[in-house]
Amino acid sequence: MASVETNSGALDVSQVINQQIITKIKYLRQFNDAISNHRDREIYQLLDNQRYAKEIEHREQQPNDKGVMNLVDDLADQLSNYLSVNLIKYLGKTYPFFYYEEYQMGHYRIYFGNWWDRRQFGELDVLNVRFSFDQTEYDKLQTAFELSRDNKRYNSERINKISSENDRLQDLIDHQQEREEKRNELQEQLKDVSSRSGIWESSRNKESRQEIVDQLQKLEEQEKEARTAVQTIKDNERVVLSLSKENTILSYEQKSIIDTFGSFEDFELANRNLYANYLASLNGENGKQVDDDEQ
Amino acid sequence: MSNNRIVTSPSERVQALSASFKDVLSLGQRYVALLDQLAATDRAADLLAATTKLAKMDLANAFVDFPPHYRANDYYLIFMDRLLKMHGDTAIKVSENEISHQFEATADSIGEEAIFKFEIDSRGEAAFTEQNQHEPLFYLSLADRLMQFNNRALVNYFIVYALQHHTDLELRDAVKPLIAFAKYLQEDLDFTIDLGILATANDRRFMLDKPDLALTVIDRLFVATADQDYMLMNLPHNNGAELLLDHDTKLDIAFDPDDYSQEWAFMVKDPDEQISFFDVLLHYDLVRKWYLDDRDALAVRTDHMVLASDDDQLLDEPVSPVEDLPAEEPSTDEPADDQEERAEDDQEDK
Repeated sequence: MASVETNSGALDVSQVINQQIITKIKYLRQFNDAISNHRDREIYQLLDNQRYAKEIEHREQQPNDKGVMNLVDDLADQLSNYLSVNLIKYLGKTYPFFYYEEYQMGHYRIYFGNWWDRRQFGELDVLNVRFSFDQTEYDKLQTAFELSRDNKRYNSERINKISSENDRLQDLIDHQQEREEKRNELQEQLKDVSSRSGIWESSRNKESRQEIVDQLQKLEEQEKEARTAVQTIKDNERVVLSLSKENTILSYEQKSIIDTFGSFEDFELANRNLYANYLASLNGENGKQVDDDEQ
Repeated sequence: MSNNRIVTSPSERVQALSASFKDVLSLGQRYVALLDQLAATDRAADLLAATTKLAKMDLANAFVDFPPHYRANDYYLIFMDRLLKMHGDTAIKVSENEISHQFEATADSIGEEAIFKFEIDSRGEAAFTEQNQHEPLFYLSLADRLMQFNNRALVNYFIVYALQHHTDLELRDAVKPLIAFAKYLQEDLDFTIDLGILATANDRRFMLDKPDLALTVIDRLFVATADQDYMLMNLPHNNGAELLLDHDTKLDIAFDPDDYSQEWAFMVKDPDEQISFFDVLLHYDLVRKWYLDDRDALAVRTDHMVLASDDDQLLDEPVSPVEDLPAEEPSTDEPADDQEERAEDDQEDK
């Protein structure tokens, strides 16, 4: 019984295997053909049929064939490099402010802008046609957009705080002379008051003596702070400069997004539809870039 | 005549006196001939020859007192006036002051309170100098056929001072005849000219006096652009920054990436090669404020052309090569030095 089952099973299995191999060969042939002719759109379909069906053909519930999908898994970096050519060309027009650096085969860092100082903004996921933005940097931009509605800048509050601290320190430095005079005056008073102290000292005298001592103490503290103020001011200025730079970078980024998309919301919408929009831009069956012939 | 011989007889003495008069009369004849040439010739070369000779002529004489006459700096100004007029250029007015009998120049676009004269130093180098601020705007050496603008004085006078009283367009018009004068010198008389920061060629580099530039200085320009329509970009070889201005004009602050020394310089690029670094400073508040706030670091060098000189010592001395170093003439550096000191104080006070 067992052997019969095995026999018939073996027959079925070899059929199944052959069937699967044929499917795989067919998949690989198709893949091979698409690669040879740079039919990027077809390559994307072969890489993720489910997503392609859903977003391009608007057919839901089209499962991926797991049996073929992983055949090219180990080629991910090379495929990414291969597909990046047309994708980055397309992004150059639709997102003119992004710049890409291939730091290793098939892996791309995104830079926002080519201005004097700029941020690394995440990575480009070529195989999935999506940006994977650095969340921290992205949040900053989003916050900057929100603040700009109230005419505020990302770091303005901190800059104002440090600036007024610097004003206070500068004031300390500027009034060194007055402090010196005041101190001499107080010391004279103290001498005067002290001469009237002793065992019969009146409580009022005691009080005013304490008051003078307190004031001298306060002046001494201010003097101490003034001595390091020049350096502190310089350090603060450095911090203000780097905060201002960040503000400037964010304002350039906002300007760029508004120039290209009109609003941050439209930018986000475009990001969500990037896969569909990009593949739609690849010309139908042959899947080449629409404007390939023009260039 | 000879002064060595002891003259004794009356007739010999009279003859000696007569000989002296002959000398001085022929000098006088040459003098009036040159004056006529200066006033009337329509050839630039003759104009130059007359001016050069008149400027060198010494009319002091023990025997004959010449009536009031002009001095070398007056001839230079007449020369300038006549060369401009030969080209129909009338934006500079030259006239004789009724009291001092010296010639003075004024520029139409900035009115008559700005008076220009040549000031001539011991080496025979004449500096076209504004009399109120004492800024030597350009140097002129007729003997060596050199004409060179002084970058530091141009900035001090026009950008720092005159812009408080005039518009950028008025000042541009005041500078125009000076540039035209330089071009006529070059074209008609084969002068070597250096327009300095007035040059408009796109490939002209204006080296900074201090070759090392702290990047925080550029950061400050970047920060200043945040509220403006102009953007500061990074150059492709990370060799500096490029400010994008109106009408496709670009101001680079950069070093040559192929040059080992990495000396920082300004460059102004525009499609028609019409705009100079001076124009950018004049026209763009953003750039002007940034430049003047950090002038110590950003000052443009003047590559002073070395004049052929009999005095070897002069070759060893730096000939005011730098826009921001005190110039040779003591009178010229005072206002600017104050400016520099104030700028430094401001930095430390912040």
